[in-house]
Amino acid sequence: MLSLVPNSRQSPGSPADPEQSVLAALDRRDPEEALGILMRAYGTAVYRFCRQMVGDDDLAQEVHQMTFVQAFEGLPKFGRRSSLRTWLFGIARHRCLDLLKMNRRRHKRFGPIEEAPDQPEPGDSVEDRLAERSRAQALESCLRTLNPRIRTAVLLRYQQGLSYPEIARISDEKAPALQLRVARALPVLRRCLEEKGMAP
Amino acid sequence: MTRCDRFETEAVHLLEQGLPLDEHFSSCPDCLAARAAYERLGERVSALSGDEEPPPGWEARVWQRIEDRRRSRHRWGPWWVVPVAVAALAAFLFVRIPGQGPPSLRVEVEPGTTVRRGLEAQPGDRLQLKATTGGVDYCELRVYRNDAELILRCSTEPPCSRRGRELRASVALDGIGRYQPLLLFSKRPLPASASDLQTDTGAALAAGADVELGSEIVVR
Repeated sequence: MLSLVPNSRQSPGSPADPEQSVLAALDRRDPEEALGILMRAYGTAVYRFCRQMVGDDDLAQEVHQMTFVQAFEGLPKFGRRSSLRTWLFGIARHRCLDLLKMNRRRHKRFGPIEEAPDQPEPGDSVEDRLAERSRAQALESCLRTLNPRIRTAVLLRYQQGLSYPEIARISDEKAPALQLRVARALPVLRRCLEEKGMAP
Repeated sequence: MTRCDRFETEAVHLLEQGLPLDEHFSSCPDCLAARAAYERLGERVSALSGDEEPPPGWEARVWQRIEDRRRSRHRWGPWWVVPVAVAALAAFLFVRIPGQGPPSLRVEVEPGTTVRRGLEAQPGDRLQLKATTGGVDYCELRVYRNDAELILRCSTEPPCSRRGRELRASVALDGIGRYQPLLLFSKRPLPASASDLQTDTGAALAAGADVELGSEIVVR
């Protein structure tokens, strides 16, 4: 299928697919084993998604851990109507949006939280690396200007490589509506980057 | 000569739908450049946080939290005990001593005469506010439109009405926008309003007041 999405992700059912292992663990009524597999397989991907959704390391860690706690509690009732990965990202999405909503209310009440200035990382002496970091920061900043629900769709599509039907299941929205939102968001992101002097 | 923008206006949508592109997009230099830019954009989003890992030991912390929640449940007995107890207590407080709880704000939209479109509020609806003041000396109901226009501010005078520790007000939603109701309360007189939500809540907090935000209502 033609797409702007850069890389294809592992498909469910492939030999290294953790989905079957988790389902087998659930069949054995071993949710601990199932959660262990889920954390090993998707822990990093869910963390990266949460990090981009909430834009803060500490909050990302909190919401990331709560995603897996909630997944553990929901595993015995997992209905197998979607892949576990889709289901897990659905939980992460809910937790991230809840957190953003809470932060928005707190922001209204107490004003914005001052962010500490970014410190250069040790060994960041190479110009290319600094430039790449600036580009990433500009993109993160542009992503944060998007409505959280649109940001979710863009990240699930482009960062996580999910299909629109999968994102639709996660978001409880229609796939064509999501396609339209993402297609509209891409030029917005491009213009935002250009305004920051960071043309893609 | 103007640049061709068909890639941005057409091709991005087609690609997101997984549809093929026509011949133009493989020969138009502007569109080829735009496609390259969007592919780079996609790669950059894909690479975001690409070097970030969850902190070491995070899995152990997840297990710890699961264990903590299990212990907490065992301490409280069956799962339904806590919600039932909370509901019983809330019902008791509501029935026996109305308005005696801590300050709180309840917001409801009363439909106007127009046909409803789902759950959204529309021009013509009314916002019904009911606050519990908790017996504080000074309290005010306020409603801001789009964070920058104060459309309601009252305490004991109309359109507010006070009965015991309950404060009620009703305001017409006569234009589209975001409506933010809030309850301010304090032991000291409340500061004047500058008709700006951020400025006013900042001034109130600085003066030692508390602020209870109600649900934001969007009128479309």
